[in-house]
Amino acid sequence: MSAEPGTTGMAQTERIPVPRTPELVMATRAGRAAAAVVRISDRGARIGVVTIALVWHLAIGLPAVLAARSELAAPQVVVGGWLLVAVLGGLAGVWLLRDAALPAPPLAVLLLAVDVAVFAAVGRSQLFGPANWVWGGLAWFFVVALWQRPVRWLFALLAAHACTGLTAVVLYGATEAADLARATMALYGTSSLPAAVFAGGATLTALSRDRAATAATTNTMVAEREAAEQARRDRRERLALVSAAAGEVLTELAQGRADPADPQVQRRCTHAAARLRRLIAESDDVPHPLLHELRAAADLAERNGLPIELVTIGTPPPLPVQVRRSLTDPLIAVLADARDWARLTVVSSSDEVVVALVTPDAAGPDAHGPPPEDGDGQVEHRYERDGKIRWTQTRWHR
Amino acid sequence: MDADTLAPVKPGRPVGVAIVDDHPVVIDGVRAWLATEPRLAVLATGDDPDEVLRAAPTADVILLDLRLHGRIVLDKLAELSTAGRRVVVYSEHSDPQTMLAALDAGAVAFLAKHEGREHCVATVLDAAADRPYVAPALAGAMVGDSRPDRPVLSDKEREALLLWFQSMSKASVARRMRISEHTVKQYVDRARIKYSRVGRPAATKAALLARAIEDGLIRPEEIGIYRSHAATDWPTP
Repeated sequence: MSAEPGTTGMAQTERIPVPRTPELVMATRAGRAAAAVVRISDRGARIGVVTIALVWHLAIGLPAVLAARSELAAPQVVVGGWLLVAVLGGLAGVWLLRDAALPAPPLAVLLLAVDVAVFAAVGRSQLFGPANWVWGGLAWFFVVALWQRPVRWLFALLAAHACTGLTAVVLYGATEAADLARATMALYGTSSLPAAVFAGGATLTALSRDRAATAATTNTMVAEREAAEQARRDRRERLALVSAAAGEVLTELAQGRADPADPQVQRRCTHAAARLRRLIAESDDVPHPLLHELRAAADLAERNGLPIELVTIGTPPPLPVQVRRSLTDPLIAVLADARDWARLTVVSSSDEVVVALVTPDAAGPDAHGPPPEDGDGQVEHRYERDGKIRWTQTRWHR
Repeated sequence: MDADTLAPVKPGRPVGVAIVDDHPVVIDGVRAWLATEPRLAVLATGDDPDEVLRAAPTADVILLDLRLHGRIVLDKLAELSTAGRRVVVYSEHSDPQTMLAALDAGAVAFLAKHEGREHCVATVLDAAADRPYVAPALAGAMVGDSRPDRPVLSDKEREALLLWFQSMSKASVARRMRISEHTVKQYVDRARIKYSRVGRPAATKAALLARAIEDGLIRPEEIGIYRSHAATDWPTP
């Protein structure tokens, strides 16, 4: 609680090397948030690309290959290539949708090999026919295989694809102007759309990463500022409590208005010391803060020469500091007055805590009149003196 | 000795007390406390319960230190209680678990050692009459009892135990609860009697119950069915 906000929590939960400065913490947090946003926004694009590639392959490539089977030079190779790409595409799609990194280089090599094989096996008659499915369909698989890789890799692969196509055109002897024009159109037409989708996806990813990182940084800064302000408020509150506890009597002593020999002043000093001790005990990180705070009060009373017995039965449930203050404050006030002996008892169960202080009833009126017997809703406070004992009890009910 | 009934204390002669403790200085202290009361006579003392009882077989009440030679003698306590010996346990171990375990084992009363001076004589006298005596430390243990098989106490009984534990003054409890001191004692004693149904059966517990019914402290129908937790391995008298 007392540690600087923002640093300790991170240190306990992160597995990555622990950032040491708030700026680094912020940057790391922002980076992580951005990565999460990117993963989510990129998922849609990935689904789209995998779907386009497979649908194209099935709905356009397959019927064309089957229809023109008899006209192909080596139909087994063309169909085999089609099957291989279908399997690779399916696997790559599953991988991609599971956020796993694809082995891009082997995939690219395999796809290029299929490219060459199909061009070689398709034969002259179907070179420009729909049965030569690699013209249009293969580029989409390049996009799937290289998703989230640098755009230049895709351009390199498309260039290799174009070279293969043009080499095949030349080797088949289809070097007439019309054929070259068809080849160029086919290459341009089938490459431009995948390239655009790929580049668009990469740009969108970069944009969303930037935006998410900015938003996360802003949020972190706002949270840091709020935590800092909360810590400042807490500190001021505690300072006010301390001033209320000891400030007045110390000021009077310093100004000579209070006489240290006056029992009344001594009593106020004892009370102030007890409250300060309680405030210090409050911020300790211990398993049972209420018992710890009462022990601190008993300790101080004992050091002031008062034999005090502290008996605890049961374990108090975790209580907010306000409830603990309401439970202990009235007893600490009476304890400052106590002479001869005191008995402090705590009986706790999961839904009730009763704290009581019994001290001998010295003759004379109450120092400040009888303290009010009241409750602030959750904690009930009772006080009684009968000439023999003074009895103060606070009781908390769930 | 018949385990069902305890040897009655004969009126007219002092109550015979045996003190078992392994610290002679404690024995001397307890003897000095008891010497202030003419109705009590210390018959034997020592650090071995069996030897002390051989020396004073007619002792009505045994004051037993729960820790003898570094060992907690709950088993010996149970053995004596089952045999119909009224045992008042006193111990520096005043944690609630130990106190409740001593009651379960059949102790008639439990005194924390720091409570000795104030409560010792009254405890022994009540024990000899098979009447409960609840010193403040034991009241605290009873009110804080969270064991699943604890007896069900009424709100008034709980409040009386709590205030008695806090203040150690029945007059204060009476004023606080706006009842007479006699009624405070009744609430506290009734709570104690309900504890005679917890744990293994013992002749002392039966005697406490019987006397409580005789005194009108508790009605037989309030006692419910006695169910032993050790019914299978405990010899029936």
